[in-house]
Amino acid sequence: MSRALLLIIGCSATLLVFGLWIPFKALVAQELLELAWAESQARQTAARPWPWADTWPVARLEFPEQAVSLIVLEGVHGESLAFGPGRVSTGAPAPMILAGHRDTHFRPLQHLQPGDPVRLQSANGGWQSYRVLDARVVDSRREAIDTGAINPDALILVTCYPFDTLDAGGPLRYVVSAEPVYAQEQNETVAAL
Amino acid sequence: MLLSLRAAPSTRPPTPVSRPVRGLSRLARFSWLRCAEGISLWLAMVLMLFVHPMYAEAGPLEAEQPGQLYLIDHKSAWQEPALVLDSRFQVSVSGLLAQTRLTRTFRNTSDRWQEGIFVFPLPGQAAVYGLTMTVGERRIEGEIQPRAQARTTYQQARESGRKAATVEQNRPNLFTSRIANIPPGEAVTVELRYQQPVAYRRGEFELRLPTTLTPRYMPGTPVSSPAGSWQAGWSVPTRQVPDAPEISPFTVLAEDVNANSHRARIELEIDAGFALAGVSSPSHRLQVSVDGSRAMVQPEAGPVLMDRDVIVRWQPVASQAPMAALFHQQWQGEDFMMAMVLPPATTGPVLRRELVFVIDTSGSMAGESIRQARSALLRGLDTLRPGDRFNIIEFNSEAHALFMQPVPVDSRVLARARRYVQALDASGGTEMASALSLALAGQAPSDTGNGLVRQMVFITDGAVGNESALFDQIRSGLGNRRLFTVAIGSAPNTHFLREAARWGRGQYTAIQSTAEVDQSLGALFAAMEAPVMTDLEVVWPVGTADAEPARPGDLFQDQPLIQVVRGVAPLGEVAVSGQLPGGRRWQTRLDLASAAPGQGLDRQWARGRMDALMDHARLAGEQPDEQGIVELSVRHKVMSPFTSFVAVEKTPSRPEHSALDQERLPTLLPAGSDAGMLRYPQTATLAPLLTALGLLGLMFALAMAMLSRRGV
Repeated sequence: MSRALLLIIGCSATLLVFGLWIPFKALVAQELLELAWAESQARQTAARPWPWADTWPVARLEFPEQAVSLIVLEGVHGESLAFGPGRVSTGAPAPMILAGHRDTHFRPLQHLQPGDPVRLQSANGGWQSYRVLDARVVDSRREAIDTGAINPDALILVTCYPFDTLDAGGPLRYVVSAEPVYAQEQNETVAAL
Repeated sequence: MLLSLRAAPSTRPPTPVSRPVRGLSRLARFSWLRCAEGISLWLAMVLMLFVHPMYAEAGPLEAEQPGQLYLIDHKSAWQEPALVLDSRFQVSVSGLLAQTRLTRTFRNTSDRWQEGIFVFPLPGQAAVYGLTMTVGERRIEGEIQPRAQARTTYQQARESGRKAATVEQNRPNLFTSRIANIPPGEAVTVELRYQQPVAYRRGEFELRLPTTLTPRYMPGTPVSSPAGSWQAGWSVPTRQVPDAPEISPFTVLAEDVNANSHRARIELEIDAGFALAGVSSPSHRLQVSVDGSRAMVQPEAGPVLMDRDVIVRWQPVASQAPMAALFHQQWQGEDFMMAMVLPPATTGPVLRRELVFVIDTSGSMAGESIRQARSALLRGLDTLRPGDRFNIIEFNSEAHALFMQPVPVDSRVLARARRYVQALDASGGTEMASALSLALAGQAPSDTGNGLVRQMVFITDGAVGNESALFDQIRSGLGNRRLFTVAIGSAPNTHFLREAARWGRGQYTAIQSTAEVDQSLGALFAAMEAPVMTDLEVVWPVGTADAEPARPGDLFQDQPLIQVVRGVAPLGEVAVSGQLPGGRRWQTRLDLASAAPGQGLDRQWARGRMDALMDHARLAGEQPDEQGIVELSVRHKVMSPFTSFVAVEKTPSRPEHSALDQERLPTLLPAGSDAGMLRYPQTATLAPLLTALGLLGLMFALAMAMLSRRGV
C-alpha cells in the first residue's frame, strides 16, 4: 500500500516538476538571454547565450501596455521556443514573423488590442514602433503564412489558441498583425508648430 | 469529495484505536494528519485556480467574438471538410502510349449542397481527350468548348441547380476541375481520359503518374493586396504570375484530411509488345503478374496515399530491347504513323567542359529534397576531371555563386566546393530568374575559344509559377551552352524541368529517392560526356508528310527519336539520319509495312501540333494562334490551353431555396518534404497538462495516505 502510494507521489511530483520546469526555464532563460543580447549588441555579432545553444538572440520585443519585454531568438524549433519567442526564418524581403508559446512568453498576446503599441529593437540598437492592426484565429491545417502577400514591413506575432487549454497539439493559432509606425517625430514637429 | 475528506477527520474521534499507542506518537500522528489536510487543501485550491479559467473561457468565447464562429460548428468540433475525394487510375499501356482513365468521386458528407473545386496535376505531356460525369446511373458525356464558353456553360448550369463538371488547363501539367451541385450525402463521379507517351531511356520504359503537387513559389510583387486581409495560403496574383490563386491549392498533411480521402487506386495493364523481364517501381511496392509481353500491375498496399508520383518501370528481356518501333492508325480516313528509333551507342573523344551547377535551396526543397539535391551535386562534382572548369550557384530568394566565374578544377577548390555544398540549407523563395541570369552571364571572350563544352546542371523541384518567362530567359540567354535539369522530390514540376531542358538543348532526369541518386545521375553524367547526335533528319516516303515534331532536337546517348506523322500510308520506307561528332553520319531505314496497329496516334499528333504552334509564337514573340489551336483541339477532341471540357445535366436537381456551398479541396504535401516556413509553428507546451496531472496525482496520493492512516 505504502509502496503504491510512494509511487503515485513520486510520479505526480515528477510530472509537477516537469510541468513547472517549462515556465521556470522560460523565465530564467530570458534573464540569461539579456546578457547575450547585451553582448551581441556590443559586439554586433550573433552571441550564443550558452556555448551549446543552437540559437541566438536577434531582437528585443516589448509590449509597453503590458510592461513585457522579451528577447527574441532565431528559429522556431522547439529548443529556441523553450527559451524565448522565435523569429521565423524567411527570405529577405519578408515580414518579421515571431512565434512564441502561449503558456509562457506569448501569454500576454491575448491582452493586445488593436491600436496597442509594440516595439522591436534590432541588433544595432534601433527601436521600431508598431501598432497592432488586428488579431485573428486561424486554423493551421487550412491556412499557411503567405509571406508574399503580407506587407514586408509588417510584424506578425503567432501563438497557439485557445490560451487556456490542456491540449498542446491543437490546430488553431492566434495571429496578431501589426504595422510599422513611421514619422513619429514629424508628427510631433507638426504638433509643436 | 474535497469537503467530505476534510470533514471526515473532525467528525471522527481520533482516540478509538485498536492497539495501545503511546501518547507522544499519537500526538505526532495527529499533527501529521492535520498537516496533510492542510497541504491537500492548498493543492486543491491551486488546482481549482489552475483549471478554472479553462472552463470559464470555453463558454463566453463565441458570444464575444462572433466573427470567429465559422471556425467551430455547433458541436464545437473542428469542422471536417465536406467533400471526400476518391481517385482511381486505370492505365493501359500499349507500345509507346499509355491511356489513362482517371475516375474521381467527390462524396458530399455534409448536409448542404456543395460545389467542389480541385486543382490537380497530370503528366506534362498528357493529351486530355474525354470527360464523363456520372450521377447515379446516368453518364453524361462532356464536350469540348472554347475556354470562356465552357466557363459560361458551367456557370449557367451551376446557377440553375443542374449538376455540372468542367476541367480546364492552368498549366500543361496543372488542371482545375469544378463540380457543381453535389447533393448532400451523395456523390458525383467525374471520369477523365488522357494519354501520355511512355519514356524510354537506357533500355527501360517508365511511366509517371503525378498525384499531388509541390506548392509553387510565385515571384513578383502582388498586384492588389485586398485591404486589411492577407489571404493566407492562397497566393495572391502577382505581376509575374497573374493566375497565382488558381494554381495554389492548399497543401495539407495526410492526417488533416478524412481518413478515406485522397487515396488512389491504381491499376496498370501493360502490353509491351516484347517479352518482359520485370516490372518495378522506385515509389511504391507493386504486385505484378507478368504473362509474356503482358503484365498486370497494382500497388501492393491497395489504395495509395496521393502524396507522391507513382512511377512504374518495365524492362524488356535483354536480347529484345527494341531499337525501333512503328505504329499505324487510321482516323477519320487519315493515316497516322508513329516512329521510334534508337541510335546505337557511340564513343567519342573525352570532352573538356565548363560545368555550372545551379542548385535550388528554396523553402519548397526543405526536407528530403535538399538532401537529395546535395548528394546529386556532390555526385556531379565527382565527375569533374583536371582541365575542366566549374562553378556552383545556389538560389532561394537571392542567387549566390561560389566563385566569381568558373574556376579550373583542382583538389583545393573541389574541397572548398564540397564544404560549400554540405552547408547548403533550404529556406526562402524561389527567384529562379536571378539564378539563371547569373548562370547564363559571364561569357568571357577567352572562354569561347578554348574548346570547352559549356554545360549547366540545374537541380530543382521546379516549384515556380512563372514557367513561361523562364523558358524565354533560357532560350534567349543560352548561347552555345546546354542545360541539363535534374528533378528532385516526390512531386516535382516535371513539365517545367522537361521543357527547360528542351529549350536548353539538354536532357532531363528525375531522382526518385536518395538511394537512386547514384544510378540516375550516373546515366545523366554519362550522357553529358558522350557524343551528341545533331542535325537529325527524318525522310518520309510521301512529300506531304506532316510530322510532329517537325525538326527533332539533338539526341543524347540512349535517347530515342520519336516522331508522329499525319498523311503517310504504311507503304515504303522512312529514312532517319543524324550527324555524329567528327563528321561521321549515322543513318537507318525502317520498312513502313511492318508497322503495328496503334491507337491514339491522332491525338498525339494533335497535341504535338498544338505545342508546335505555341513554340512558334514564343520564338516569334507574339500571341499564339488561338483560332488554329481551338480548331485543332475541337477536331481531335484534345484539350488545349484555350479549350475546356464541360458536362452538364439536363434537368435541375438542386431546389432553388437551398444554398450552394463551395469547397476547395486541398492537395497533400509531397512525401518527404518539410512543411516549411509557410506552416504555422507549434506554439504550445505541455506545461499546463503536466502541472494539472501532477497536482491531481499529488492530491489523490495525499487523500489515499490520509485514508490509509486512519484505517490502520
